[in-house]
Amino acid sequence: MNKTVLELKNISYKYKNNLILNKVNLKINSGEKIALLGKSGSGKTTLISVLNGTIKPTQGEVKLFNESFEELDRKQKSKITTIWQDLRLIGDLSAEQNVNCGLLAKNNFFFAFKNLLNISSFKKAHKYMELCRLHNSIYDKKIRKLSGGQKQRVAIARSLIQESNILLADEPFNNLDPKLITTIKNLMLESVDKNDTKKSPKTILVALHRLDLLNDFDKVIGIRDGKIFFNIKRNNLKKIHLEKIY
Amino acid sequence: MNKLKLNYTSLSFLPILVCIPLGYQLINNIHFGGFKLFQEFLISAFNPKIDNEIIITVIKRLNETILIGFFSWLVSIIFGAFFGIISSNIFYKIFNIPNFFYRTIRFFLTIIRSIHEVVWGIILMQIYGINFSIGIIAICIPYIAVNSKVFAEQLETIDYKSFESINQINAPKFSSLLTLIWNPIINTFKNFGLYRLECSIRSSVILGLFGIGGIGTSIFLSFQTLNFRELWTYLWSLAILIILSGLLFKKIKFNTKNKILSIFFIAVFFITILFSFSYFLYFIFNINFENFNSVSSLFKSSSDLGLFDFFKLILETIILSLLSTGIAISLPPLVIGIFNSKSSKFFIKIFAFLLRLIPTPVILLTLLTFNNPSLSLAALTLGLHNAGITSKLLFTNLDSQDKRNYIAMKSLGISKKTSWLLGLFSQQAKSYLAYCAYRSDIIIRETAIVGVIGSVGLGWQLQESLSSFAWQEVTIVLIAYSSIAIVGELINGKIKNSLT
Repeated sequence: MNKTVLELKNISYKYKNNLILNKVNLKINSGEKIALLGKSGSGKTTLISVLNGTIKPTQGEVKLFNESFEELDRKQKSKITTIWQDLRLIGDLSAEQNVNCGLLAKNNFFFAFKNLLNISSFKKAHKYMELCRLHNSIYDKKIRKLSGGQKQRVAIARSLIQESNILLADEPFNNLDPKLITTIKNLMLESVDKNDTKKSPKTILVALHRLDLLNDFDKVIGIRDGKIFFNIKRNNLKKIHLEKIY
Repeated sequence: MNKLKLNYTSLSFLPILVCIPLGYQLINNIHFGGFKLFQEFLISAFNPKIDNEIIITVIKRLNETILIGFFSWLVSIIFGAFFGIISSNIFYKIFNIPNFFYRTIRFFLTIIRSIHEVVWGIILMQIYGINFSIGIIAICIPYIAVNSKVFAEQLETIDYKSFESINQINAPKFSSLLTLIWNPIINTFKNFGLYRLECSIRSSVILGLFGIGGIGTSIFLSFQTLNFRELWTYLWSLAILIILSGLLFKKIKFNTKNKILSIFFIAVFFITILFSFSYFLYFIFNINFENFNSVSSLFKSSSDLGLFDFFKLILETIILSLLSTGIAISLPPLVIGIFNSKSSKFFIKIFAFLLRLIPTPVILLTLLTFNNPSLSLAALTLGLHNAGITSKLLFTNLDSQDKRNYIAMKSLGISKKTSWLLGLFSQQAKSYLAYCAYRSDIIIRETAIVGVIGSVGLGWQLQESLSSFAWQEVTIVLIAYSSIAIVGELINGKIKNSLT
């Protein structure tokens, strides 16, 4: 049986008197590829923010590797990486500097310093940017000068370079054309696994809107009004499930 | 009857009404005793003294001024950035430090900032005596606080989501901080750094007038000996320095992609910090404290300052600030609006440049040749000097503005003055007023300079108390002066926020 890596126990989150998450219980096992479904405003982004520790829940407990999130040190917390819906890149830095930011957790202060001065090594960053089909002509371009799709792939490269055990992604395929969606999805789910198992994120939770992308996931979670309506294997997903959440 | 409606344009002109009481007092105080001197002063502007001796003195004195200005700029910009970082909320978010420290540091910096460099200079001179480094330290103290505010304001613009994103990477905290603040710091340095250098040089001139050294001291000594030709040699050389440095600053562009240049800047950064600390320690341990009557005298000395007189001084300082601000706001648009031909503009620009160039104490001393010392005269001086600065901004903005509205109005047969007012100025009025709100912060601080010379307000009292080593009085005056500046800054901050 797979080990539980992330666990939400009775999680509620209130913002300005609105209950965004309502008594959510969830267990994510090692190696699971989970798709998170729900309409806009259903609580997907908040759930991801609670899972990665950005938001402290009003009630309940988050556990990472069976330990309370708040008791974990920086290195243990860095086992989770996130691709944000709004990307959250640093506009004044170049694409390669942004990707290198993903390596900050594994390096010391001088690495950050060298990265900002453009004198650090970008070899690894370039490797991941290439995997995300980013052309080398944009490597040193500032983020604010890139197109939506290019920014999206820089954000993905920044997350993948962290080589974390758990990848949380909030609608990562926005701004991408169908061909790129397949490439990036494979990169996140399959391709890297085949090449190098150590470096791929082993557990994945992806918030999605497009149902045609569900094929490669093991499990599907449906969320509506901050409540989990179903948490089932993908093969068991039926129309009735989707009607509940949409 | 129609109601009077105030808009940004009319608000820009309304403060000119301060000229009514001001003019009344100035006319009453007029005397012709020094009119000949004033005439001589004006004529000497076209006939400055030029010989080998004075040229050598000018070079020597300008060198001193530049050195004081440059070193105080270098130290204040670096330490300003440091204090800007530790007084910005991003620092506290990353390190999870309670907001109490953030508020304490900000409050402390506001107090330091509220006291003008001249006041710091006079106090330090009283304690340590006249010394080259006093000039640098006197400028550095308030400038570090001023620069820290500029840096902190820029750091406040960091997107909270970028912070969350970097935080989620779980990098070491210093790495996260550096990555987030790097570009705002570099951009602030690029945008404000050279302007602050110009400010430092101007301040070193002003401090020179109070005996610190450099060209300011020479200007003051020539004025005291009524050697106007020599005075104008110094003033014109200062003008050349400002024009040349302005041209040089326009040419300098910081390229952060240049790795060698970046490393050079970092080396300068660390050397300055090391040098400043070692000098600070040297200064503390080697200075002769004989001039200072010891800190204990601060508590022993009694204050002869009556409560009524004290409140009168506070009121005078507030009125002085208001009158000067009124002139600084309304005079430039009024003069530019009335005389808006090309040739008039040229002369207004030269006049405004001279008002900016000639230090306020010299303007005041010149005006004293035909007017008795009064609050109005001090206000006029401060107002004119600052009008020179606000008019520069107004000219720059008007020159770069789209003139289609103005041309369209003129083509409809509307008079040139009305077209200028409605087609050009009205679009600038809001941002102009916002800048004037910022300027009035500086005017409040500058009341100390004219106060010292013009026998008005807390500035005058401070000089008196310092001369008689009445340290308790000095403390009371400084607290009052600082409180006015802080309240003024709060009010102006609200005005600026409502205008931007």
